[in-house]
This record gives sequence, structure tokens and C-alpha cells, in this order.
Amino acid sequence: MNTKLSYDIIGLTLFAGVILFGVPALFSYDGFELNTFSRYLSLAIVSMALALSWGTTGLLNLGQAATFGMGSYAMAMHLKLKASGDGLPDFMGWNNVETLPLIWGPFQSLTFTLLAGLLIPAAVGGLIAIFMFRARIAGVFVAIITLAFLVAFQLLVIEQQGLTGGQNGLTGLAQLVLFGWKIDIYSVSFYYMVGGCLMAALIFGLYLTHSKFGLVLRAIREDAERTRYFGYNVANYQTVIFCISAGLAGWAGMLYALVLEFASPTYMSVSFSLAIVIWCAVGGRESVLAAAVGAILVNLAEGRLSDVFVEGWHMILGVMFLVVVMFMPRGIYGLLVDAGRALRRKPASTKEALPFDTPLNPKQES
Amino acid sequence: MSQLQVRDLQVTFGGLRAVDGMDFDVAQGEILCLLGPNGAGKSTTLDLICGKTQPTGGSIRFQDTEISRMLEFQRARLGIGRKFQVPSVYKELTVAENLSVARSMKPGIWHALTHPAIRRSSKMQDILDLVGLQDKMGEPAGNLSHGETQWLEIAMLIAQDSRLILMDEPTAGMTIQETERTARIFRSLSANHTLIVVEHDMSFVRTVADRIIVMNQGSKLAEGTIQEIEANEAVKTAYLGH
Repeated sequence: MNTKLSYDIIGLTLFAGVILFGVPALFSYDGFELNTFSRYLSLAIVSMALALSWGTTGLLNLGQAATFGMGSYAMAMHLKLKASGDGLPDFMGWNNVETLPLIWGPFQSLTFTLLAGLLIPAAVGGLIAIFMFRARIAGVFVAIITLAFLVAFQLLVIEQQGLTGGQNGLTGLAQLVLFGWKIDIYSVSFYYMVGGCLMAALIFGLYLTHSKFGLVLRAIREDAERTRYFGYNVANYQTVIFCISAGLAGWAGMLYALVLEFASPTYMSVSFSLAIVIWCAVGGRESVLAAAVGAILVNLAEGRLSDVFVEGWHMILGVMFLVVVMFMPRGIYGLLVDAGRALRRKPASTKEALPFDTPLNPKQES
Repeated sequence: MSQLQVRDLQVTFGGLRAVDGMDFDVAQGEILCLLGPNGAGKSTTLDLICGKTQPTGGSIRFQDTEISRMLEFQRARLGIGRKFQVPSVYKELTVAENLSVARSMKPGIWHALTHPAIRRSSKMQDILDLVGLQDKMGEPAGNLSHGETQWLEIAMLIAQDSRLILMDEPTAGMTIQETERTARIFRSLSANHTLIVVEHDMSFVRTVADRIIVMNQGSKLAEGTIQEIEANEAVKTAYLGH
């Protein structure tokens, strides 16, 4: 309701303040330090995208990394072509590919690349969604199907070496030139570009969750069957949010490929997909903002702790997830909401509930 | 002109004929009660009308449209609402949000994307006043008492504003006073809505029913007013076994 909206706006403002002013100031506007943070911010986008399908609608998409990977490959293909000049990308030569494959051609164009990185994942997500949700597949089966798709898609990318660079992925990329601006990923302005993308994604996500669309999605999460009897085409709602979520994941993938300067099949691995689920769960899957914060916090912790515990880090991540699942199933967000409620409860008087047989409407009764 | 026409309706579950050749009409604004022993096919008949179950034969026409092959949300859009036996409000949503979901005259995605989750309207306020939940608007429905949950469900049915409302044992678990109050609401509803009610409580049926259909083993045993039914020998046999 309105109070929820005002909390979200306050939360977003605080978050924007920290990300856009606090963090750069903390690292004294050092481009190299901020580059690490740009990586976290791009991962925050894919986490908030999962919050839309998982937290809001109750559809656990374990294939989120596949659509993320598509975005990163779209961007990497464009940059690889730019890096290769008039010739073929180097790895194609190693694989005896003599002419540029048909699907690579359009990625010469930046406009096409940006659209493809957003729309191809959305279309693929939508296609899977149509088949699943028309057939009324729900619950754990959504997780299984999306996971199976992820594994199959990763295999396909690795197998098609001549097209995708196989296990090595796409490396040796050019710098992106956007409207004549050659992007230096170790610059403060690049950090602001990624931060701006995250803020835009969050504002979009918050708009969705506060619209009637978001309300119907939450109704579907609780009781899809009941929602159908109100006349809502549940399958269409689920398909649309799956598309949106996949498109955002693709967008995040494009930024990620920029930050790391390569695209690799590891972006589409099962462990990466599960990591997204953990970020989302730690932050709080019910709120897009909390899911973004979760991604940043977990990755920040990983960045700091993995220096100390090189192999043991995954164990820490696993324990973190167990703790969240067992003791705070709604994540940090849930803790905050409960704390806020407990604080507000105290001054309020404990009003007696209205018994069922009290007069309906005093005016009518008299 | 009848609003709903059911002709030779049949459904078979693994060899069991749950509904076997039902024929009946319901007129606009009528309250029809379905009676019958357990397993007579009353709830299944409602399921067939609202689309929860697909019929294996026969036809259902609602306002001159054949609906027996439609999906449930398509039937809901035509104006068929359903209240289930177990209270089915959205426990995690607030009272106001529950009502907003129920107000589904425009169930399309584009409309949903371009409108806020909750719009305060005078109609919404009237409904909340009617059921006495105006102070609980921001409360999650899961925090409501049993009685308040029942009122919320009735409020949602009113908000949905279906032309035909199907109710499965609406007074189950209610006290006598609650049942009487519910009966009064039903009578006021029937000005603009047609109701088909499955009910066991005879005093409730006496108060609300315009017409009664008694079902037995999936088909219609008797049909008529309450007096006609109470005098019917076949009904007595079905209920008492003699």
C-alpha cells in the first residue's frame, strides 16, 4: 500500500545514495577499485531479476544464468568482431571456420547487439515459459525444467566451438564505443554507467511490484487456481514476468561481459545459477531492492573472504545459505520487516477483533 | 429467458458417473439450491459450470454462449464467480489487496501494468463498510479471525461482481446468527446476481431458495419449491432409504 511504497522509495533513495556517492567516495574515486564494484552492481541486476520471478511470482527459475549468459555472449560477439577488424575472430581460424557464420553478421551493429542482448534472452525465456505455463506446470517442476534447459544450453555453447569459442569462451575483446565514447572499464564514468543501469532496473522493478500487475503476480504466487477464477489469465502473467526477468538478466550479462572483458561458458554454469538464487535469498526474494543488496553483500564478502579462504569459501557460502533457509527464510529483508512491525506494534492498542455476528452496517440495521 | 442452461451434462471419473445427464435452467436473479446426499454430484456440478472440471458430455450455455469447453478464467470473464468450500482468501495479501485482486472487470495484463495495485474508490469503501473491515484495510488477511475471513470472502465476491455466483456450502461452520446474516446478504445479492448454492443447512435453504434441485447419484431426483420438495416421496426415500 502507500506506506509500503514510501518505504520502498526511502530504501531506494538510501541505496542510490550509497551506490552513487558513498562507494565512489569510499574508494576515493579510484577506477580500479570501482571496477570490482561495477561487477557487483551488474550481478545485482540479475539477482533483482530473479526476485521478480521467484520472490514475487513464486517461480524458481534455476536457468537464470542461461539468459544472463546469452546477454554476455551478445556483447562479447560485438566486441570480438570490433577487435578482429576486417578479419575473422581468431578462434574461428583455429576451428577451421573460413567464413563468418551467419548469426555473427548482425552483431557488427551496436544497436542490434544492445537489442539482441535484451530481446533474445527475453524471447527464449518467454518461449520456455509459454510451454511450461500453458501446461500449468508449477512448483518444483519449474525449477527442474529451467535447470535442465540451463545444462543443455551450456553444453550446446561448449560444443559449438567454431561459433562460440567453446570452453575458452570469447576473449581478447575490443573496448566498447558507445555514441563515440570509448568506454574505459577502469574509469569512474563506467562505474556510473553500470550504477545507472542498476538504478533504472530497480525503478522498473519497483514500478512493476507496485502496479496491479505485481499484485496479481503475488496473488498467483499464493494461489494460482483461485486467481484464475477471478478471470486472470495466469499463464500469460507468468509468461510476461518470465520474459521481463530474462530480459533483465540478459542486460546484466552484457554489463558483466564488459566488466570482465570476456564471455565464458562458466557464466551459464549450474553453480553460477545457484549462486544467483543464494544472493536473492540472502537479501530477501520478496523485494527487488533487497535482492540487489543481497547480491552486492554476498559478492563483497566473497571478494574479501576468498582471499583468505581460497577453497573454503564455497563452504562459507553454503553455510550462509543454510542459515538463511533455516532461520531467516525471507532474508535480510524479512528481518527488517519483522523488526519494523515489532516496533510499531508496541504503541498501538490491542483492538478486539470484530466478531462475525456484529451488525453488518449500522445504518442498514437500524 | 434463462441465464444458464444445462443440458444432459455428464462427467465420468474412472468409470464412476459423478454427474449423469443433468438438465436444468437458472433464471436471471434466481437463487437455486442444490441438495442431496454425500456423493450426489452437487459440488461436481458447480465444478463443471465454473470450469474446474471438464465435462465428458452435454452442454452448458451461459447467456447464450456455449461455455463447456472454455478455460476457467474465460468463464470468469463472462461473469461466473465461484466460492469454494474452504475459505480461500490470499493470506499474505492485505485486505485491501485481496479486494483489489477480486475487482477484476479488466483482467488483462496491459491494464494491470498501467494501474496501481490499489485504487481507493467509493465502491471499495462501500464494500468494506458493508462487511465491517474498514479498519483492517492494511492488515494481512492471514491475521484476520475466522469470522472476518468469511466476511472478506463475501466482500471479494461482491467486488468481483459476477452475474452468476456459485457457492459451495457457504454456511459450513457458521453459528445460527452468522447463517441468518449470510442468508440476508444472499437475498440482497440476488437483486443483481444469480446464485447457485450447494447447502446442507435446511433452515438456510428455506430462507434463501427460490427453487431447489435434489440430486442423487449424479442425476436430478426432484425439482421445485421448498414445499414441493418436502412433500416429495422420492426425496424421502433417497434420504431415509425407505
